[in-house]
Amino acid sequence: MKTKDNSEEQNLKIFFSEMKAKDSALVIPQFPKIRKSKSWSLIPLGIAASLALLAWFDRGDKPIQTLDHDVIIITLEEGENNELQFIIESTTELESWESPTSSLLTEF
Amino acid sequence: MKKSILEDILKELHQQAYHWSRQCCSFDEDLEKDVLQQVYLKILNGKAIYKEKSQLKTWLFSVIRFTASEWRKKDQNVFPMDMDFDTAEQEEEAKTDSHEDLIQILPERQKEILLLVFYHNLTLEKAAEVMGISIGSVRTHYDRGKKNLKDLILKKTLHENKR
Repeated sequence: MKTKDNSEEQNLKIFFSEMKAKDSALVIPQFPKIRKSKSWSLIPLGIAASLALLAWFDRGDKPIQTLDHDVIIITLEEGENNELQFIIESTTELESWESPTSSLLTEF
Repeated sequence: MKKSILEDILKELHQQAYHWSRQCCSFDEDLEKDVLQQVYLKILNGKAIYKEKSQLKTWLFSVIRFTASEWRKKDQNVFPMDMDFDTAEQEEEAKTDSHEDLIQILPERQKEILLLVFYHNLTLEKAAEVMGISIGSVRTHYDRGKKNLKDLILKKTLHENKR
């Protein structure tokens, strides 16, 4: 029985050695080259990117806001003949302005 | 283990890893290359960690086996547009000329255990580690596999003698 088992195992060994022999003809691709990660080399790149971002946000070409004709002051004044008239003015600066018709601000 | 040492050992085991990967991928060379590439990436990126509990070869083989089974699961539900789904007749007439064809007929675990023991010269204990199953189960698959493969070889020999 043992002899039979051994011969059967021998058959299997022959089978696999034949298979190995066939496989030895296969062209095996080379072990892939692994790029060593150089994380330190990314530091200057990171600094450059940060600076570029800062420059982007702080760039001086902000649109200059002028008040040219942007502020219109409409006042209602009493004329010489007691008639009411609107006076429309436009200005570029508006630091302080007081209504000449203070009566409008009076609370009744 | 240092990365450089690990890389050197992987280089040494590359040929064996290639064959095992090919066997785990049902001898599909394209799939095998993808799987092996994925395995090396997993190892060198630290996703698969060698804890020195077993031999490096055993560990590497188990990573390959696991990765191949992951890929097979992914591919299982993908069928080419021109695939003929009526394959019953084709299976009966499948060629069983080569060693690979005979091995492919065996159930997956029987195939794996026989390849690990006879092709890669691992012990049953090491094979159990690679396959992630108990030594008892490995012995069962081993005995059944040997018997089945022996029958297949015998059938093939008889078929060849008839010609």
